[in-house]
Amino acid sequence: MSTTTTNPTRPVGDSVKRIDALEKVTGEALFADDLQFGPGLLFGRIVRSPHPHALIKHIDTSRALAMPGVKAVVTGADTPKQIGLYLKDRHIFCRERTRYVGDPVAGVVATSEEIAEAACKLVEVEYEVLEPVLDPLRGMAPDAPLIHPDLGNYEVPNFIFPKAGTNISNHFKIRKGDPDAAWALCDAIVEDEFRVPHVQHVPIEPHVAVAKMDQRGEITLWTSSQSPFAQRNLIAEALGLSQSSVRVIAPFVGGGFGCKAGVTMEALAVVMAQKVPGYAVKLRLTREEEFFTTFVRQGLIARTKIGATADGKIQAMQTEYFWDAGAYTEYGVNITRASGYSSTGPYEIPNVRADSYCVYTNHPVGGAFRGFGMPEIHWGIEQIVDMLAEAIGMDKAEFRLKNCIRTGSIIATGSTMHPVGLVECIKQATAAIHWGTEERASAPHKRRGKGLAIMWKAPAMPPNAGSSASVRFNEDATVTVSVGGQEIGQGAFTVAAQMAAAALGVPYEWVRVEGPIDTQYNPYEWQTVASRLTWSMGNAVMAAAKDARRQVLDLAAEHWGEDVDHLDIKDGMVISYRSEEAMPLKKMVVYGLPKPAGQGWRGGPIIGHGSFMPSYVTGLDPETGQGPRSVVHYTTGCQAVDLEVDTITGQVTILRIAAAFDVGKAINPDQVRAQIEGGAVQGASTALFEGFQLKNGKLANHSFVDYRIATSVDVPFEIIPIIIEVPQDDGPWGARGIGEHSMVPTAPAIANAVADAIGVRVLELPITAEKLYLALEAQADGMPV
Amino acid sequence: MPAPTDVNIPAPSTLAMPSPGLPPFDYLCPDDPDEVVALLLQHGRSARLLMGGTDLFVQMRDGALAPRVVIDVKRLPGMRELSFDPADGLHVGAAVNMNALAAAPAVQQFYPLLAQAVASVASYQLRTRATMGGNLCNGSPAADTAPAALVLDAQCVVWGPDGERTIPANNFFLGVRKTALQPGEFLTRMEFPVPPTGYAGRYIKLGRNAGGDLAIVGVAVLGYPETSAASGYRFRFALASVAPTPIRVPEAEALLAEQPITSGLLSQAALAAEDAATPINDLRGSARYRKAMVRNLTRRALDDVWNQLQAEG
Ligand SMILES: Cc1cc2nc3c(=O)[nH]c(=O)nc-3n(C[C@H](O)[C@H](O)[C@H](O)COP(=O)(O)OP(=O)(O)OC[C@H]3O[C@@H](n4cnc5c(N)ncnc54)[C@H](O)[C@@H]3O)c2cc1C
Repeated sequence: MSTTTTNPTRPVGDSVKRIDALEKVTGEALFADDLQFGPGLLFGRIVRSPHPHALIKHIDTSRALAMPGVKAVVTGADTPKQIGLYLKDRHIFCRERTRYVGDPVAGVVATSEEIAEAACKLVEVEYEVLEPVLDPLRGMAPDAPLIHPDLGNYEVPNFIFPKAGTNISNHFKIRKGDPDAAWALCDAIVEDEFRVPHVQHVPIEPHVAVAKMDQRGEITLWTSSQSPFAQRNLIAEALGLSQSSVRVIAPFVGGGFGCKAGVTMEALAVVMAQKVPGYAVKLRLTREEEFFTTFVRQGLIARTKIGATADGKIQAMQTEYFWDAGAYTEYGVNITRASGYSSTGPYEIPNVRADSYCVYTNHPVGGAFRGFGMPEIHWGIEQIVDMLAEAIGMDKAEFRLKNCIRTGSIIATGSTMHPVGLVECIKQATAAIHWGTEERASAPHKRRGKGLAIMWKAPAMPPNAGSSASVRFNEDATVTVSVGGQEIGQGAFTVAAQMAAAALGVPYEWVRVEGPIDTQYNPYEWQTVASRLTWSMGNAVMAAAKDARRQVLDLAAEHWGEDVDHLDIKDGMVISYRSEEAMPLKKMVVYGLPKPAGQGWRGGPIIGHGSFMPSYVTGLDPETGQGPRSVVHYTTGCQAVDLEVDTITGQVTILRIAAAFDVGKAINPDQVRAQIEGGAVQGASTALFEGFQLKNGKLANHSFVDYRIATSVDVPFEIIPIIIEVPQDDGPWGARGIGEHSMVPTAPAIANAVADAIGVRVLELPITAEKLYLALEAQADGMPV
Repeated sequence: MPAPTDVNIPAPSTLAMPSPGLPPFDYLCPDDPDEVVALLLQHGRSARLLMGGTDLFVQMRDGALAPRVVIDVKRLPGMRELSFDPADGLHVGAAVNMNALAAAPAVQQFYPLLAQAVASVASYQLRTRATMGGNLCNGSPAADTAPAALVLDAQCVVWGPDGERTIPANNFFLGVRKTALQPGEFLTRMEFPVPPTGYAGRYIKLGRNAGGDLAIVGVAVLGYPETSAASGYRFRFALASVAPTPIRVPEAEALLAEQPITSGLLSQAALAAEDAATPINDLRGSARYRKAMVRNLTRRALDDVWNQLQAEG
């Protein structure tokens, strides 16, 4: 703990112990699958499409229904309305068409998971197999089969632009300056195509949902969720219910990374529960289902052209993104938008053209994934910038320093950049790995290399994504903070408690944060996504705590007959700087204070409220993508990587990753450092090992046997986290998000270091040992034995 | 049957949707080896033997196997015993778990190659259950302990309808998931003769990542001084994951016995290993990469062994 008495904002800025540490390390913390529902609990299993693209000709559920122990079978006939976070493009159970291998066709409810599973095999489905679309370029072709022939009729918000009669669910454009004219000015132009495969979040805890409908038709859903309120809203709308008729209870989450945001399998459990009123129905996914039936990170084909003048100034950039969005686009359409407006990366470039296409394919459904499109686009951006620096003949760090955004830069959307510490991030991260100093490899057959990548990312969300919080006192002056944001392991509850404590003037240990999140009791939060809680929910908590604080001070001022401006709360005591009076918060915050001479009491239970919504974000012009404030803010950062490549096997060993991020204000520095380390690990894992191997729409590596992720022995030997703090104007204590950002630059930084080590550029993730070895062999025209 | 010879087991990753649980089965835990034999003969292919279960249960969950009877043989007399005798060598009960095996002082001291191979399997957690006996009986070409068994000239001792018999490890593997076990037979222990004086050995496993992957390629090399050989040395090579079974590489072994050892000859031996490998393309790696890795890692292991031999000699 770096607690010092000189920290004026404490405990904000202190690395206090996590509020949930004891519960979690002792195993006491409850997760969705731990909740007990008694012997009446029923289980659901899902019949899934074995075809990537097919018409459902006929479903016969009679044999399944006749099986002893089976209570109900549901199909698309039970789900007439469509669901979707932005574009309402799917039925909870397929109706006439299936669009990916794993698409839910029917659900069986039975007295045990085994019976439900066995009965699934008795559901007879007759399919007419259709030609599948297996890559986004094919999906864009005019003669491609249409995956959503009714796209033009789907409900959609006004910032998403589907193209009826095509497979394009969104097309986002940036038109800034005149790139065509600018190419002529450039002394070096580089152009290339970069590819990113689908990857999975692989949380420790697979998806679990338990749903129950009571006799009045009201729904309760217990689930592992990043989005209890969004789920309530979307499920209610899709089922024709009012929001308050759906209650979502979300205990601790065993890892989310985006896969438990929005609505995936939870809606299946709800529809199944509607068939068996009064009974709770549990649906939990196997690890294999987790891989291909929940959200995945979308695949991407990125084509980029970039040019600079001999002085090293980037003059123009042109980009096309073809997102392999999969069968439906819960988040994909907005990832397409976010990647479009961020397509320059954190560079100030005068002439920009970008076209970002969200393309339906018969692949698993794309969703939110830590970074929300940014790791995918930076894979290409940060390599092509390296290639351009090389072509110009400039040091790669210097080249970035010359071109990166600074406070006041005009970014791709025409907006003006807020105060930003990216330059400092680049300087400190590179210094930490001794950038520019050649260092020896550990063995003659190894080659050492260094690389860096920088990044930016803004929270991508609808402009009216709101947060709210309440802060109430107990008799003993402890404080209960109530929020709707979720603790998904990132430390959100800890940070909320720190902020409430700091704003109120009570010790951190006095604050509790209520869980599980229950939409019936907790205040509204849009979703736990976009690295937005510390910032957005933080603003709401701060406002609520200030509200409660004001009530306490007003009461004390009246009691002492003093001006409220002279009063303060310190360490749980109300004090007056003027009269030097002091009294404990205890009791007065609930019972109030007695008036003089037995004339009764004043005050009463103190409860503060706060909300936040970024009402200052503007829309973007649909033709040019230009607007005065496109996003709330960007978090920026830099990673520098030092690694070795074994030329005998192609294996990469990461020696060091230094990572510097401008978080505005580290509310809890240790938690920020943990995010920076975690991001580097997940980033390294996606860089070196991860990727779907889809064969005709079917996932060949749908388990940990062949979908490898980094283990503790694969992670970088040394991660050096560096915190930069240039305060954010709209953030609590100046804070902005860090959760996702930390993995954004890792893969391209590693690719750049590999290129430095062995002169091989890998354009398609992952950077496997086999790829590097075969490239080395080609380079050397046969390796010596 | 302990090792069915005609069941075609699909690779788990080609199955679309494994079930959330195991199919139902009867669990039997006999305490007499003859009872095991009787049960195996009675139930035939609908019985499977169980030790650590780290292969068996995975295959059952994937739907590749659905035995009606699971016979636990871990508790039979001697199955979990490990002993070493300077004259007789090392005896390892088939059900000794891998962590116990790798940690045994005799293994550390006299069979470090075996300890290396065992420690390359999965993770520490898994090795508290997994057994070397199970690794061999599972009959996977990728079995990490098989190359060590081959180069250490291990003997597989089995119990069956006619009592005990011994199968050399070199004759034990017949094909993918096919072993030399006959109906009614099961493995009771592995016997490792006292290794040649002055020997050195090395097992190198290449996985996609460092922690817990199955082998893309596994290479075991063992060498020892031998006056009867023209070169003054003999070497043994074995490979995992690059042929339908773990294999020895007699061509390389002959090369290094017949001529004085030079760097060029070591390279030739590595090329001979590459030639002996007949890998397939799969999710773990292409045949081309595997062949190159057999060559490069054989050379790396060989250099290592050769350096050790020279340091000692
Ligand atoms: C996560 C994971 C990682 C793994 N990693 C590796 C790895 O890196 N390298 C590797 O080689 N393997 C690996 N494996 C496979 C497995 O762990 C090993 O093969 C292990 O040694 C099997 O031993 P067991 O005792 O668990 O065998 P079991 O599963 O009990 O049995 C294996 C097979 O042998 C049969 N059998 C059992 N006992 C006998 C007997 N006495 N006689 C005849 N047949 C018998 C069984 O019926 C079954 O078919 C991994 C498995 C998992 C789940």
